[in-house]
Amino acid sequence: MRDERDRLYWIEGDVPHAPAPDQGPDPWGETKVVGTKRPRVDGYERVSGTAVYPSDLTLPHMLYGAILRCPHAHARVNGVNTTAAEKMPGVRAVLSGFTPDDAATAPHSGFIRTRLFNPECRYEGETVAAVAAETPYQAWDAVRAIRADYEVLPFVSDERRALDADAPKVQDEGNQVGDTQHYGRGDIEAGFAEADVILEQTYRTECEIHTPMEPHGCVTRWDGDALTVWESTQGVYNIQNTVAASLGMPLSKVRVIGHYMGGGFGAKLQPGRYTLIASLLAKRTARPVKLVLTREETCLAVGNRPPSNMWLKAGVKRDGTLTAFEYVGSGASGAYRAGGVSLLDWQVRDLYTCPNVRTELTNIYINAGPARPFRAPGHPQCSWALEQTMDALAEAIGMDPVELRLKNIPTFSQARDGRPYTTTGLRECLEEGAKAFGWSEARAATAADGDGHIKRGVGMAGALWGYGAGGPPCTVFVKVFADGSVNLNMGASDIGTGTKTVMAMVVAEELGVDPNSVQIDHADTGTTAYATASGGSKTVPTESPTVRSAALDAKRQILALAAEELEVDAASLTLENGKVVPADDTSQAKALSELRSLRRRRMITGVGHRGPNPADKVTCPFAAQFCEVEVNTKTGEVKVLRFVAAHDSGRVMNRLTYQNQVFGGITMGIGLGMTEERVLDGDQTGKMVNKNWHDYKLPTALDVPADMTCVPIDVPDPEANIAGAKGIGEPATIPTAAALANAIYDATGVRITETPASPLKVIQALTDAGKGA
Amino acid sequence: MLPQFSYVRATSLDEALQHLGTDDARLCAGGSDLIGCLRDEVFECSKVVSLSGIEQLKGIDRIGHAGVRIGALTSIAEVASDPLVNRGFTALAQAAAAVASPQLRNQGTIGGNICQKPRCWYYRGEFHCLRKGGTTCYALAGENHFHAVLGGARCYFVHPSDTAPALIALGASARVTGSQGTRLVPMEEFYVPPSTDPQRETVLEPDELVSEITLPAPAPGLRSSYRKVRARGSWDFSLAGVALALQFDGDRVVAGRVVLSGAAPIPWRSAEAEAAITGQRLDETTARGAAEAAMQDAVALKRNGYKILLFKGVIEEELLKLTQV
Repeated sequence: MRDERDRLYWIEGDVPHAPAPDQGPDPWGETKVVGTKRPRVDGYERVSGTAVYPSDLTLPHMLYGAILRCPHAHARVNGVNTTAAEKMPGVRAVLSGFTPDDAATAPHSGFIRTRLFNPECRYEGETVAAVAAETPYQAWDAVRAIRADYEVLPFVSDERRALDADAPKVQDEGNQVGDTQHYGRGDIEAGFAEADVILEQTYRTECEIHTPMEPHGCVTRWDGDALTVWESTQGVYNIQNTVAASLGMPLSKVRVIGHYMGGGFGAKLQPGRYTLIASLLAKRTARPVKLVLTREETCLAVGNRPPSNMWLKAGVKRDGTLTAFEYVGSGASGAYRAGGVSLLDWQVRDLYTCPNVRTELTNIYINAGPARPFRAPGHPQCSWALEQTMDALAEAIGMDPVELRLKNIPTFSQARDGRPYTTTGLRECLEEGAKAFGWSEARAATAADGDGHIKRGVGMAGALWGYGAGGPPCTVFVKVFADGSVNLNMGASDIGTGTKTVMAMVVAEELGVDPNSVQIDHADTGTTAYATASGGSKTVPTESPTVRSAALDAKRQILALAAEELEVDAASLTLENGKVVPADDTSQAKALSELRSLRRRRMITGVGHRGPNPADKVTCPFAAQFCEVEVNTKTGEVKVLRFVAAHDSGRVMNRLTYQNQVFGGITMGIGLGMTEERVLDGDQTGKMVNKNWHDYKLPTALDVPADMTCVPIDVPDPEANIAGAKGIGEPATIPTAAALANAIYDATGVRITETPASPLKVIQALTDAGKGA
Repeated sequence: MLPQFSYVRATSLDEALQHLGTDDARLCAGGSDLIGCLRDEVFECSKVVSLSGIEQLKGIDRIGHAGVRIGALTSIAEVASDPLVNRGFTALAQAAAAVASPQLRNQGTIGGNICQKPRCWYYRGEFHCLRKGGTTCYALAGENHFHAVLGGARCYFVHPSDTAPALIALGASARVTGSQGTRLVPMEEFYVPPSTDPQRETVLEPDELVSEITLPAPAPGLRSSYRKVRARGSWDFSLAGVALALQFDGDRVVAGRVVLSGAAPIPWRSAEAEAAITGQRLDETTARGAAEAAMQDAVALKRNGYKILLFKGVIEEELLKLTQV
């Protein structure tokens, strides 16, 4: 399917590859470094505070930017009076839609463009004016002094009401974004006709905010007609592309640097209007400008996981054969065209074998900040619906929920023309996860729960992430210096997942050096080759084969030089601990620094390009998670006792960073399932009432169980790429919330169909069902 | 970003009180509530008067044979871990331990905790609500998930303090010091309900502050506890909480107080629940009866009906737990 994801994550078509197709290296057999537990190569810098994030950066003569944002859900800006603000101490520039600098446009999704300071503000937090001043306090004092004349307009903040005939229009075209998307295969009526049990249920998941630790922001500096942007981003080339296009500049004149960054989860795949505003402020003042958003601004204006409304009807035979899925979903795009229903039906389409499927998705405008990709767009929401339905189907036919899933494991992608998967680890995830959890014993134990008002329950859910294969284009350089030390040069960002560490391990594996000794230059459009953004769980499967290719290219060159100098066959040489070692006589090992030819050349440069994915196959990660909860039926409090997460993401590159992703994914899934919810003041103002970290409830350390177990299904996928790895970041959070809901059902007999399963919802649901104590 | 203000670090109570009399001056004890209010521009403030240099406001001492005096500037963390508090006043120790997060308990003070400004997302947000001098309580017709089911009148926030309900249950008093001298105010009479004045939370005059809290010696047979249900495990205010201080004679409750958090704009003493258990043997039937009685006058708003269910559950659960102490 083609949508925003393809554009953001990779590009199809002809690309260079090295090695040439069909001449690639053999898959790794036994590895020495790859697959071990390695602490982060930049762990000390991150923990000690010496790592410089964009929000830490201070340049000489730097100014601070601040933005006046529309306080209304929908308003027309009839004028902006900046006279007082311009005269305030320290103020160096003020921009608004009524000053001449508003030439730049700000693409929202590539489909449409809006003015930087739109005269019609369609969501709370839309940009109205901006200031650059000597200190952040002066900048904000000036923002407070700007007088904007707002004409407040009617709004709609709930996508469930936005298609009503009398709903205020968010965009002139009306409140539906494009046409309803339809998908179908098989014969849905025949499917239901052959079912022994048919169940249907509506579900809803609430809107989540990305809430990265480091807010969105940048520092911008002009040098003549060239612009440098230090941005907290997942992909420097995405930022370069949008900034250059918006400001009408050649790509070569826009350099974007994104070394350290404090989390993104999809919200930092693209720049914000703030990036362009900072660039214009810097141009106007001829000074560098830092513009970092406040926490409140990040809640309003730089993306969210949209709320999802889902209805699922499912048919199954008594023997567990699925016969039909019918699914209707809708979601909120926000005030501009964005992925309100991106991939919202993918789990239903493709996770389990089912010949007859019909889905329908409707994307809806509301007066709220536009959605952005959020860790596995659409998938955790769809999982919330599908996996609870699977649980209910299993109960209805008297089958164990794991057994029902095992009966319906696909070996090919039904939604992608039946192309086979390179590997399908779903069975192993289900079986090994269930074994590690003690599923059967735990089910028996919770079924025999006593009369107390504290009830125990266990639940599980399967998942697949529809992407996670990675792909071209990507180019990487590995430089070996005359003394044998190694530099890795790649465009990819390390968004906190351990990309740098994994790639240093790949270099170490091939060149026989210590991973910690590999110096890494990355995420800089001025100095590195092109890389797609780190998103879609594709960084490891994109970058690690590319880095391997580059390292192998350097190795081949070094061994050729050494073979000539040592007068032996290159094939008999290996690299170990910075030495060239002849296989038949290790005593003749020679340090790289002693190779005369290398000393003369001063540097060997290995180049690697990401090769294409197999043409007729599909590569996806799979997962199954299991959990146990305790529910207080007097208060609706749910305590998560333990989680077991079994994941097939191909080869495990670094067991520590892998486990980190899994535990982080579970934590985030607990947030979706149990605590997080954007609340808009829908009946009065449309404003977000919980745009801070107290009222918007992220899970804390006490909401996440200490007892979490990661069960990697460590089976390399050699067909997928020459590293054998698939993505792990997103699958890790897909099944979590649904597994929790199933555990709550097992404990109480009550289904929580709307997130979050907080005491507010659970006590009400228990009481409504007559199951409260 | 904080608006401008001047800053004074007082070295004596007298100095602090002098500054307090000037325009728009605000006290800063631990600052964990004040800084948020300033950042959110909840009220005007031209001068911040820090109390952190006044040593006499810190520390916990015994008074009489078993009473306790707690300086207003004592941190919540110290209250939670103090042996004297833990020995005789379990409800207060548990309430202090339930406050916010470890960082905030280290920074926040007991005096600041009982003098917190309302935790209502309209009051704290960009809404000119009744309590801020406007004409409307936005919570009444708005997103009132976390608002009052008891004691609301024109304004419907719930008092955010965990320690205040415990202090009221334990019969504590606040020593209020002003330029005119000091007075001792029973904690039960410290709070002003919105029916009396929707723009005032406590009886403190603008030139007064809380200098210490005194707890009388526990009565014989006193058992106390505090628990709150919250939407997440840490850094969260009470959805429904209850402080109990019951005097037992055998398995019979001879006297006691039941004070709710998260229920009303003031810590809510439930005379109905107390009447239902006083003179009774505390068992499942009386506990359930007391929980029902506590909620008999509760009125749900559009989104907080769950609170009535929650209170019934947590009151019953906590009453029964006290029988097992």
